[in-house]
Amino acid sequence: MSAGSPWFFDPFVIPFSIGVVWLFSAIIYKWTRWFVALPADDKALVRHNFFSARSLKALKEAVLECLIHRKIWKTNPLLGFMHMSLALGWFLLIVVGKLETSTYIRDAVNPPHVHVFFRYFFPEEPASYARHFNYALLMDCLLIFVLCGVALAWGKRAYSRMMGMKRTTHHTPFDRIALSTLWLIFPLRYLAESVTCGVHNSGSFFTGGTGDLLTSALPGGVLSAMEYPAWWAYSIVLGLFFVALPYSRYMHIFTEVPLIFLRAYKVKSRPEGSSFDNFQIQACSRCGICLDPCPLAADLNINNIQPAYFLRDRRYGHLTEQVTDTCLLCGRCAAACPVGIDHATLRLSSRVAFARQGSLYNTPRYEFLATTDDRSSGTGRVGFFAGCMTQMTPGILRSMEKIFAAAGVDVWWADRNGGVCCGRPMRLSGNLPAAERMERYNTDLFRKHGITTLVTGCPICYKSFTQEYKELQAMGIRVLHHTQYIAELIAGGRLKTSVLQASYAYHDPCELRGVYSEPRYVLSHVATLTNAEPHEKDRVHCCGGSLANLTLDTSAQTRVGETVVRNLLATGAETIVTSCPQCKKSLQRSAGNDRVRVVDLAEVVAEAV
Amino acid sequence: MTQEKILVIGGGIAGLQAAAALRDEGFEPLIIEKESSTGGHVSRWDRLFPTQKQAREVIEELTAATAGIESVTDREIVSLTPEADRVTATTTTGERFTGRAAVVATGFDLFDARLKEEYGYGLYENVITSAELEAMFRAGRVTMKNGDTPKRVAILHCVGSRDEKVGQNHCSKVCCITGIKQAIELTEAIPGVQVMNFYMDLRAFGNGYEELYRRSQIENGVTYIRGRISEAGETHEKRIQLKVEDTLVGRPLRLTVDLLVLLVGMRAPQCCGSFGLPTQANGFFAPRDPYTGNVQSTVPGIYLAGTATGPKTIGETVNEAVAVARRIRMDLGK
Amino acid sequence: MDFGFTINAPRAIYLDKIDPTLRDRIIARERTTLLCIGCGSCTATCTAGQFTPFSLRKVQHLIRRGEYAAAKEAVQNCMMCGKCRMTCPRGVNTRAVVHTLLQEL
Repeated sequence: MSAGSPWFFDPFVIPFSIGVVWLFSAIIYKWTRWFVALPADDKALVRHNFFSARSLKALKEAVLECLIHRKIWKTNPLLGFMHMSLALGWFLLIVVGKLETSTYIRDAVNPPHVHVFFRYFFPEEPASYARHFNYALLMDCLLIFVLCGVALAWGKRAYSRMMGMKRTTHHTPFDRIALSTLWLIFPLRYLAESVTCGVHNSGSFFTGGTGDLLTSALPGGVLSAMEYPAWWAYSIVLGLFFVALPYSRYMHIFTEVPLIFLRAYKVKSRPEGSSFDNFQIQACSRCGICLDPCPLAADLNINNIQPAYFLRDRRYGHLTEQVTDTCLLCGRCAAACPVGIDHATLRLSSRVAFARQGSLYNTPRYEFLATTDDRSSGTGRVGFFAGCMTQMTPGILRSMEKIFAAAGVDVWWADRNGGVCCGRPMRLSGNLPAAERMERYNTDLFRKHGITTLVTGCPICYKSFTQEYKELQAMGIRVLHHTQYIAELIAGGRLKTSVLQASYAYHDPCELRGVYSEPRYVLSHVATLTNAEPHEKDRVHCCGGSLANLTLDTSAQTRVGETVVRNLLATGAETIVTSCPQCKKSLQRSAGNDRVRVVDLAEVVAEAV
Repeated sequence: MTQEKILVIGGGIAGLQAAAALRDEGFEPLIIEKESSTGGHVSRWDRLFPTQKQAREVIEELTAATAGIESVTDREIVSLTPEADRVTATTTTGERFTGRAAVVATGFDLFDARLKEEYGYGLYENVITSAELEAMFRAGRVTMKNGDTPKRVAILHCVGSRDEKVGQNHCSKVCCITGIKQAIELTEAIPGVQVMNFYMDLRAFGNGYEELYRRSQIENGVTYIRGRISEAGETHEKRIQLKVEDTLVGRPLRLTVDLLVLLVGMRAPQCCGSFGLPTQANGFFAPRDPYTGNVQSTVPGIYLAGTATGPKTIGETVNEAVAVARRIRMDLGK
Repeated sequence: MDFGFTINAPRAIYLDKIDPTLRDRIIARERTTLLCIGCGSCTATCTAGQFTPFSLRKVQHLIRRGEYAAAKEAVQNCMMCGKCRMTCPRGVNTRAVVHTLLQEL
């Protein structure tokens, strides 16, 4: 059955060919639509950065992440190998297959099905071609490589803990079709190639060897009768997979590449949503790595809101407010995500989309702010913004007063007698215009008092000031969390402290991501710090009280916090210390009694002053 | 009649009364008290609701009734081990006591007001608890920290009671009437003082309570404001600023007082978690049955009396202590 | 046109006549609103309440009585800061209540 025409046509390639045409049409359609709909400034970013080193960096990242799956290797080597063997293995099968066919049919038309079904069209090879390069051997090795991945995927289905995963994703019907066909593709290719090799007594060690085995095991004639149906089956599953792919999680294979490039060009998701979100959403493979770190899954057995599910629901248009609003935005999932999807902004833009449906979204809010009297006090260039929550924890405010006094700092107190919220809690509910009105009020207040440094004891305010307030930087205002400010005072010799005979375990507030060294520097300066690796910094468990969550009741919040208390007390510390009024309150509640004290870093320092 | 030893864990009013009643039933009680003397919370109180009887008289009466009964102090029991016909109690230091049965009369702990940081207890010098006010009454002088006489006092109800934020969903039952009593006593102790009680619900349910409530209004001029204080702050003169909503007027109220008294509720003590007995949602020990088995635990040989099973008045506590002796006699036979 | 008299809005809330649909939908979405006993802690601590007559206690009770228009007017003042949630002794998920109201009203 050698090639009769330069097209190497045989009816069995039809399912495959339809699949390929369908797949690439769908991808080109999606990419074009998404790209055209990008905001103009995002397009400008792409144009501006396209011919730059950023493209090369993106290319490198695409190879590392899409083919080798470097980040998954870091999560779990076996899991990394599984993903790599499927992705890189398949990719190499295509590339090497293409090279193999092109060495045979240099002058003729070489459509994609020729290399996919190479063995069918060139059943006698490589006997006559051994002098060039033993492609058959290489292709056999690659097939083994991919089959290892398939076997591991089967194994993961049966026992995911082998790859360090307690939970795996629940799939949609399309995912199931795609998954089933994907799992069949390579075993069927192996079968088809082996049968052909058996019939023609050709092939390399793997397919050829299996062919020989089949020849000897099966009665004469059976093998040649099997050959044609086997190729049909292989073509059909390939076709089915390609047809299902654009609707399934496997769309991530083709979406992650443009995502990596767009990200390299500094295109970002926006709270109000943009077409770029499509790239992020469809780049999620629902690999399920985000499931285990989620505190809501671990402590409350809530298993439908994690990014894999949230993005799935959003993608297919059946996202509910319950799913959207049930999230602490603690960032554990995003830190683990191998694709680096900006989950927090996507979650926020979904909340914005729901909030927009309300009749009050664009109603001008807080008109009273225009005539509100200025309740701030003091004249210093250093402003202290306590934040709403700190009014419920006067111990923190008192300690800051003591620390400022000890360091001789002249302070402008923004809200000691009551102030306006920073706006982030409102923003987290999706009501952007309302949040921006508060931002405008506070910005004007800071401008009016001419401060140069803005210190806050609340990580929520800190995040708001550093990431959301648009004008502070231009106004020349340095924003510091009090942990950073105290660290500067100590390092600069302005604050003299004694050493306390007490041991503390520090809880990193979720909203203070990245500010890790300063609180540790301060605490180890004044006391003994007992923190232990697995539960701190990026891997910290939320206290449960996060304002980003809009649905959990108090008992659920308390249970989330109990995990934190347990982890921290296990370090042998007497006292839990944090640097957020919300965390302090939540953890004290979760500690459940007065025998475990939860204090703020400022209180520890004030004690040592 | 056999002289069987019964362990009475706790030497408050429940333990004392139980011991006296057990002796009457022919048992040999042993009182095990964690503090250096018996009497419990009541021994630190001044006068009692609803008749303002001296707490001292109650303690004296019960002490007299228990004269000659063996008691040990400074021994805190951490575990109870029931066996077929005896119960062993072990102290923090490993000392063991064994009896035919045990009465758990471990009472309650006062809620630690520091957990309600927004009220500033421990931070502001003129924020005190109801227990500290009683101590002032006993000392005969109610003053601010600097020795001045307060002219305006706020009493805040439900601190550590009916507050899920501190894991105390239950009502502590005695605070409302204690607040009324203390308000009256403040006006008696300090002529011309203005006393305001801030409450969510006023639960004056017991015999003579409503009468005391009325009296406090008509005779003592105590004001009741329906609103739970949300935050307290301190002025430069160390007075206490309060934020509250007057829910009946429907407007926020801001005021400054010289003294803020926090009516701290009852919380389950640590032993409720360590004795291996079932507990209720409020953390206190669970009686076998809240109708006919109030003084029995679910474990044979272990009995319960007084506030070990939840907030109670003195009268209810003493009744249970008498009942528990009778119940043990009925269970163990003559 | 002046007829020489005006028609006053009824003084009473006619519980028999209110349309409970919206109320029930709000309660279904955030059931903890039922826990409110009107202690006023939320209003006392309220950031927006410093500047406006906003009272979440009142808003929640207006909803219960079917007085949606007044509740809608009031709830726009909320800043969602969450202090009320922190102080509520009954465990009303106050921010969720406001979040629900902003969307449903």
